[in-house]
Amino acid sequence: MNPRVPIWLKWALGAAALIALPLVVRDRYFLHLLVTAGIFVLLASSWNLLAGYAGQLNLGHAAFYGIGAYTSAILATKLGITPWLGLFAGGFVSALFGLMLGVPSLRLSGPYLAITTIGFSEILRLVAMNWVQLTRGSLGLYGIPPFTPIRLGSWLEIQFRSEISCYYLLLVLVCASLVIFRRLIRSEFGLSLESLREDEIGAASIGVNISGYKLAVFTISAFFAGLAGAFFAHYQRLVSPDTLSLGETFTILTMTMLGGLGTLLGPVVGAVLLTFLSEGLRFLEDMVKLDVRMIIYGVLLIVTILFMRGGIVGLLNSLRGTGRAKD
Amino acid sequence: MKLLRTENLTRYFGGLCAVNDVDFELVSGEIVGLIGPNGAGKTTLINLLSGVFPPSSGNIIFQDDDISRLKAHQVNSLGIARTFQVVRVFKKLTVLDNVLAAAVDRRRLGPWSLVAQAILGRSWSQAARDHDEADRLLEFVGLASYSDELAENLPYALSKRLEIARALATSPTLLLLDEPSSGLNPSELNDQIEIVRKINRQGVTILIIEHVMKVIMDISQRLIVLHYGKKIAEGSPREVYQDPEVVEAYLGGETHVEYR
Amino acid sequence: MESLFLQQTVNGIIVGSVYSLIAIGLTMVFGVMKISNFAHGDYSMLGAYVAVFMLGVFPGWLGWVGSMLAAAAGVGVIGLLSERLLFRPLLDRWTDIDIIMVSVGLFLLLENLAQLLFGATPRMIKDPFGGTTLNLVLVSTSVLRLFCLAFSCVAIALLQIFLTRTRLGVAIRATSQNRFAALLMGVDTTMVYALTFSVGVALAGIGGVLYGTLFAVFPTMGAMPTLKAFAVTIMGGMGSIRGAIFGGFILGIAETLGGNYISMDYKNAIGFVIIILVLLVRPRGLFGRKEGA
Repeated sequence: MNPRVPIWLKWALGAAALIALPLVVRDRYFLHLLVTAGIFVLLASSWNLLAGYAGQLNLGHAAFYGIGAYTSAILATKLGITPWLGLFAGGFVSALFGLMLGVPSLRLSGPYLAITTIGFSEILRLVAMNWVQLTRGSLGLYGIPPFTPIRLGSWLEIQFRSEISCYYLLLVLVCASLVIFRRLIRSEFGLSLESLREDEIGAASIGVNISGYKLAVFTISAFFAGLAGAFFAHYQRLVSPDTLSLGETFTILTMTMLGGLGTLLGPVVGAVLLTFLSEGLRFLEDMVKLDVRMIIYGVLLIVTILFMRGGIVGLLNSLRGTGRAKD
Repeated sequence: MKLLRTENLTRYFGGLCAVNDVDFELVSGEIVGLIGPNGAGKTTLINLLSGVFPPSSGNIIFQDDDISRLKAHQVNSLGIARTFQVVRVFKKLTVLDNVLAAAVDRRRLGPWSLVAQAILGRSWSQAARDHDEADRLLEFVGLASYSDELAENLPYALSKRLEIARALATSPTLLLLDEPSSGLNPSELNDQIEIVRKINRQGVTILIIEHVMKVIMDISQRLIVLHYGKKIAEGSPREVYQDPEVVEAYLGGETHVEYR
Repeated sequence: MESLFLQQTVNGIIVGSVYSLIAIGLTMVFGVMKISNFAHGDYSMLGAYVAVFMLGVFPGWLGWVGSMLAAAAGVGVIGLLSERLLFRPLLDRWTDIDIIMVSVGLFLLLENLAQLLFGATPRMIKDPFGGTTLNLVLVSTSVLRLFCLAFSCVAIALLQIFLTRTRLGVAIRATSQNRFAALLMGVDTTMVYALTFSVGVALAGIGGVLYGTLFAVFPTMGAMPTLKAFAVTIMGGMGSIRGAIFGGFILGIAETLGGNYISMDYKNAIGFVIIILVLLVRPRGLFGRKEGA
């Protein structure tokens, strides 16, 4: 830690940079990337809470994302519910499904749980594809209304039709979520989750209600993924069954592992890095006329696990000589 | 005051009877040793008492409550803590965190209470109190200087002490120790005995499984002997030592089936 | 119709035999090394491509049979490499998450590499018997399918002989039952791991040839056999070869009958449903070992 630069200053500078960024770089595509990265930060962080801190291997996380997206989209398009409510509805409905998926986790672990979560995700994707009346099947839902404008006084109205305003909205959501994650992780709740991850029997012997904690963490993790999905629905204004695909989950996974599983900033680093990396790869793909992105994800995943188990954040922490990769 | 008693406590694993109709009592404040040849069902008994699995039949009464079918975390909330034969500390957590995790008042605060507490913020005084409690316990077992060390980096003997500190952090009335001195060398053994005595002096009742005769004879006020799941003797160390059935169980007789 | 039921049952048996073959590899690797390989089906996919190319050079039934051997050998070598480079380094600091993630990474890698190298268009393995069908009393099936069944059974039988009659095979079984005891008895567990993994995926490779023959060959075809193999091993009990054999046939029959009498669209979902049901009711499967308390 550089003693000459106090922590608060670093945070202030970072915040200022994030706020100023879209004003400086006005490229709409760049902003779109930032928004995409932000959504993945939410997804990766929520997955990290479940897998990194509680040790529950969930390979169906995209399902929560999709449920949140579809919930808010359907509420808005079919019932005319304002997206601002839809945002939280998406989170809560997703949380309910999280609770549902938590039940098998009480009896299963490791590969058995992993496969069950895949099954859960795939079944939901099939439902999204086939329940045409509700979801319009593979065509997906389009024409989803954007966030309704906020009125400040009689002269200022903030619209949410452009990338820039959505970016700021997402920034608020992501920051709030990260604050909540940080509090959860650094609290006795987080400690209880970690004890569950380390040794269930040992944790039970010190009074940790294993079932209760598992259900709680699944619910919370799903809530934030659903929130991200609902935001996405009103940003992209188009939702398709692809949001529930395994590919989406594997992307989230790779981001979290690369950034650092079980650390607070790991998912953030991983999400941002991989979002921009895949953009760079797109250029490469156009040049070389080959689809290499997923191959690189695969390689990254393998290399990270073999050589950089703590991810980038873990690597940085060990270089700095910290015992635990917490921040 | 009778702290714990079991009535016809039995546990089957498939066709194998690991604990067979065991009746015994624990009086508040005593140190009782649980001995018997390998595979006699001692650890199974501890598992039953601590709620790891339920009995096949019979009852466990703790302070007038029937705890026979309670789950492990519920049993702990009522005041029974335990250690494990093969140490099960939280490897990737620090020594301090291991104890802090146990110090949480889980009788009052379930998962969602802790979630609310985490998001809304906890009082500084409570956090400080828990921290002090954890520090005190680490001091008590002599691990204070290892506070920030990862539990997996501890040498074996110290990790056994960590498990004890962790169990104590749950404020138990009854502590079940499963072979706390296995794997320890003679000097570590003496330290361990001292710690157990200290704990008992603070008012915690102790049931200790031990193989090392020196330890068990030294420490226990009373012994219970299991063999093939049945209680075959009970009494003072002297009495038990001279009981012919006990002698035969340990030294003579046919080869017995290995459980684990 | 009576004969339709029998017909579909026969089809189910044929498909089931291939499932068994592929699943055996998965269950072996899990039983010996405690690895759940989510990329297992991709080895089948590679085997299928070996057949595609082999048959390009040596068409006809000779090429077809030869491709099974080539697939076994080729995929076996790739298996050796994967084990040595990816899984063995993890074995000492093994956690579920690590191993599963690595296999997910491998899955992404193999699938997309195949897409890159072979293109996404599905290939068909031409029937080396020219589509001849056989009409038995109540059922009719193609000669090709019968040979698929035959080769699956032969491969499984050969495996059983290997596991029971050879020293290496016994070493594998011993390690699967009790690693430490095997080590103490002088078994070279490192070599056993390498062998088990290679044999396991080689079987998947052969199964892939048959699977590709029955269906089609395309880069993302690996996901289905992986899922089916997991369904079979969970049903039969992770680690149990007998279970994999039983489970494979049961799944095959359940799928074809279910697909016929219930719904074609959800045929592939039957595997998932079985997984969830088994895990809820009897997690260790038919022949699985109970996890230690």
